[in-house]
Amino acid sequence: MEDDSPITGLVAAAARGDQDAWNELVERYSPLLVGVIRQYRLTANQLDDVAQTVWLRLVEHLGDLRQPEALPGWIVTTARRESLRMSAAERRLTPFSPLEGVQPVADTAEPDQELLRAERHQALLGGLAELPTRQRNLLMLLVNDPPLSYAEISERSGIPIGSIGPTRSRALERLRRTQPIKQFTDRPLELEQDRR
Amino acid sequence: MTNMTPDPWNDDQQLLDDLAQAIRSVAPIARTVAERAEGALSWLTVDEELLFASLSFDSLEDELSAVRSEPGDTRTMVFTAEPLSIELEINPRGVLGQVVPPGEGEIFVEAADGSVLSAAADDLGFFVLPAVPEGPVRLRCETATGRLVTHWVRL
Repeated sequence: MEDDSPITGLVAAAARGDQDAWNELVERYSPLLVGVIRQYRLTANQLDDVAQTVWLRLVEHLGDLRQPEALPGWIVTTARRESLRMSAAERRLTPFSPLEGVQPVADTAEPDQELLRAERHQALLGGLAELPTRQRNLLMLLVNDPPLSYAEISERSGIPIGSIGPTRSRALERLRRTQPIKQFTDRPLELEQDRR
Repeated sequence: MTNMTPDPWNDDQQLLDDLAQAIRSVAPIARTVAERAEGALSWLTVDEELLFASLSFDSLEDELSAVRSEPGDTRTMVFTAEPLSIELEINPRGVLGQVVPPGEGEIFVEAADGSVLSAAADDLGFFVLPAVPEGPVRLRCETATGRLVTHWVRL
């Protein structure tokens, strides 16, 4: 995590009980968390429960999270583990079916592509989470659905219209340098064949 | 460089398009999850003498890793924090618990919404939880040996 990432400061402040810092952390990392849990065949309520368990665990863990760059990995690992646990608990309550595994499943005919897409999304969401606030806000506005005009983006972000283009380039360049994106783009070549 | 394929994310528009797709795939669930998570910070514990007990055994995980045809009827969980630990046996009829080392004590089941159930451990450290809340909970245990709180789990 680079020096200008706000995550280090947010983790330290949240560990001291700063509610605003905590709110910003969960806002930044909930997309990544949901992206991970969504890979498992869970109901909306189960997804909520797993997400809440992960956040409660993080609250106990804040004080000893000495290296904030470990945070995205911790979130992904804990979310996977708790999702699997939830799947296993679910299987206890329903008649056993030998055809159903508990591995990440996709509802499409091409599970490999589905898995790769999920990993690509997690890399992007993990990278976005650690961008400096101004850059992250701008990217969020640029991908707003429905699209916003540059005038609206300028008004909401406080960035002059003429600076939106250059700020966008810098934000995307910064995004490419984040650990989650670098780990994804540097992954071994054999995964590359199914890309797109 | 091991990667000979040109990276499509070198293109600004491609990167932004993929980012948009990633965000759309989790919104609006992510927003609801984030709003619901705000209250979690109220569980931040600043108590030097409280022992944190991690989940050192969960039979559910054995079921996940082992090739077993039938999941067991009873789930066993062990929370450990030297010198105190709690063992739970969860079955469809309820939850039986054992405090180790054995001894009298008070058990509290704390739910994320702030509700608390309590039970007494007898002189052998044995206790019964008649019902457990849905969703994440943690157990707090106070005995002569010490005070312990477990990780958040679903029972």
